[in-house]
Amino acid sequence: MSACVEITHLYKTYYRHKWLFGKGSAVPVLKDVTLSLPQNRVLGLVGESGCGKSTLCKVLLGIEKPTAGTVLVNGQDIAGLDRAGRKKICRHMQVVYQDPYSSLDPRMTVRQLLSEPLDIHGLHPDKKQREQFLQDLLTSVGLAPSYLDRYPHEFSGGQRQRISIARALALDPQILIADEPVSALDVSVQAQILNLLSDIKKARKLSMLFVTHDFAVARFLCDDIAVMYKGRIVEMAPADELFAKPLHPYTQALLRAVPQVGRPLAKPLAEPGADVPNGCAFAPRCERASEKCRQAVPPFQAAAPQHFCACVQFTKGDVQ
Amino acid sequence: MREAPVLQVKDLQVSFTVDKKPVPVVRGLSYSLPAGKVLAVVGESGSGKTVHALSILRLLPPGAQISGGEVLYKGKDVSACTEKELQRVRGQQISMIFQDPAASLNPVLTIGEQLTETLLAHKKITKLQARQEAAQLLEKVGITDAQKRLDEYPFQFSGGMCQRVMIAMALALSPDILIADEPTTALDVTIQAQIVRLIKQLQEQARMSVIFITHNLALASQVADEILVLYGGLCMEQAPADELFAKPLHPYTQGLLASLASVNTRPERLPAIPGQPPVAGENFAGCPFAPRCPHVTDKCRQSLPPLREIGARKVRCFWESTK
Repeated sequence: MSACVEITHLYKTYYRHKWLFGKGSAVPVLKDVTLSLPQNRVLGLVGESGCGKSTLCKVLLGIEKPTAGTVLVNGQDIAGLDRAGRKKICRHMQVVYQDPYSSLDPRMTVRQLLSEPLDIHGLHPDKKQREQFLQDLLTSVGLAPSYLDRYPHEFSGGQRQRISIARALALDPQILIADEPVSALDVSVQAQILNLLSDIKKARKLSMLFVTHDFAVARFLCDDIAVMYKGRIVEMAPADELFAKPLHPYTQALLRAVPQVGRPLAKPLAEPGADVPNGCAFAPRCERASEKCRQAVPPFQAAAPQHFCACVQFTKGDVQ
Repeated sequence: MREAPVLQVKDLQVSFTVDKKPVPVVRGLSYSLPAGKVLAVVGESGSGKTVHALSILRLLPPGAQISGGEVLYKGKDVSACTEKELQRVRGQQISMIFQDPAASLNPVLTIGEQLTETLLAHKKITKLQARQEAAQLLEKVGITDAQKRLDEYPFQFSGGMCQRVMIAMALALSPDILIADEPTTALDVTIQAQIVRLIKQLQEQARMSVIFITHNLALASQVADEILVLYGGLCMEQAPADELFAKPLHPYTQGLLASLASVNTRPERLPAIPGQPPVAGENFAGCPFAPRCPHVTDKCRQSLPPLREIGARKVRCFWESTK
């Protein structure tokens, strides 16, 4: 199983604005993230708002530059690329954003929206062939080919998200980054889009980074899951394994907190307290935290084959 | 459940004026809210759930008006109140918390100033007494170090903490009814559990009634005694929570429950409801769910099914199996 995206020891730090001179205080957003996206699999990145999920996407897409660490896409470091090199990489890596209302240009028709990536990369220049391609593309996301000349405002949220997905698929990418693609949609429409993404995953050979805060959604779509807390990956495992045996106390708390019919209201977690500068970021909210947790950042290590966890409670070989 | 209801909504109709034509958003909603109970109003965006809540407090935005029906608070019609009478109803008898807590607080006033403002407006007390009371309120909603935090500004509070302040403010005058409009939608799941628990706990302590508005059926199942499912401005189904989740009757409720992803199972496909939710103003003749319904007949498209009572439940559907 080769990986098409390889992230190693990635750090991203933002600086708070300071008056006139000098750098403001540092705000570390990603801390020592090591992650790989295997080919033809869906990796779910789960975490709460502010944990750094979207920043990770931005770094991957080259919108933000990493402070330290490397990001390899198909074995190529994206940091040192020039314009042409970046364009080449973008061809294989596309993104679907959360809000289908703000991510589509309201002044462009669906045809223009879908043609733009093709024009940039010079694909399907033949007019007739292009038309056929666009029609097939729309059909593949469950929309009628006759919608090509409509504007985004004529569509509902679910339909717009289908257009966003079609636009991302226009270049037939190897890697699809989906940043909370269903959380802005109505409940009765979410299932449709999740099914569509599941179909795409089966029909096309692509790898997906699926960012979400909702474990139930991740359960349905993802093969592997990485859980993020305050800029660090705290647990990573194949989905079935993670749901059967969540190890990290934060993963356990998150899983408990998902509302489910027929389950009583979850026991709440403590408020996120002050940051622990040198220890485990989750320690202030953790029931099992000991002195040890506050003294050093727990290493991210294998607790079982393919099951990694950053918690001092688990050392190698703890879980069989 | 057979106590005298604190709030009765009778055939409430609300419409927006678009291009000088009325567009109905709430199309005849009736229910009664007993004392000390939690009613969850579940619906998608555009179903009229928020608009109905705003019309209870007569807080509708310009362009929207109550076009029919009445809202009775302890037998008195709120929709016929003068503005002065309304000021007493709002806050003292019925209060409301909103979806985005950070946007509901004034960013340039301290938490203390905003909390005491409510108290001073309604009670004959001194500023010092109001401050003491405000501190007690903050402690009641689980904010520690209350005296100090009174002098802080909203930006110094996290989202969950802001919602706690909103709850403190809403409960400052011990209302009989709390309307919570998607109180946790803007919050993280771990914080959601805290806030919902807090509301539930305060509701039980004070025997307050709560109208809990949400789009999350699973969350509704965890807090509510009674569930009302709204779709296209109409009540599709209303039932005691345990009965509704044990056996949903309306095809929309059934579809919605079936389509929810779960952390426990991993199906090959989710049984999704096809189509899109209705846009206000379209489809007047028949059932608003007809275009998406698996059991649709010609009758459904031509006429609106009445809300039938079946024991303690109500359901709006012609379908045989719901009888």
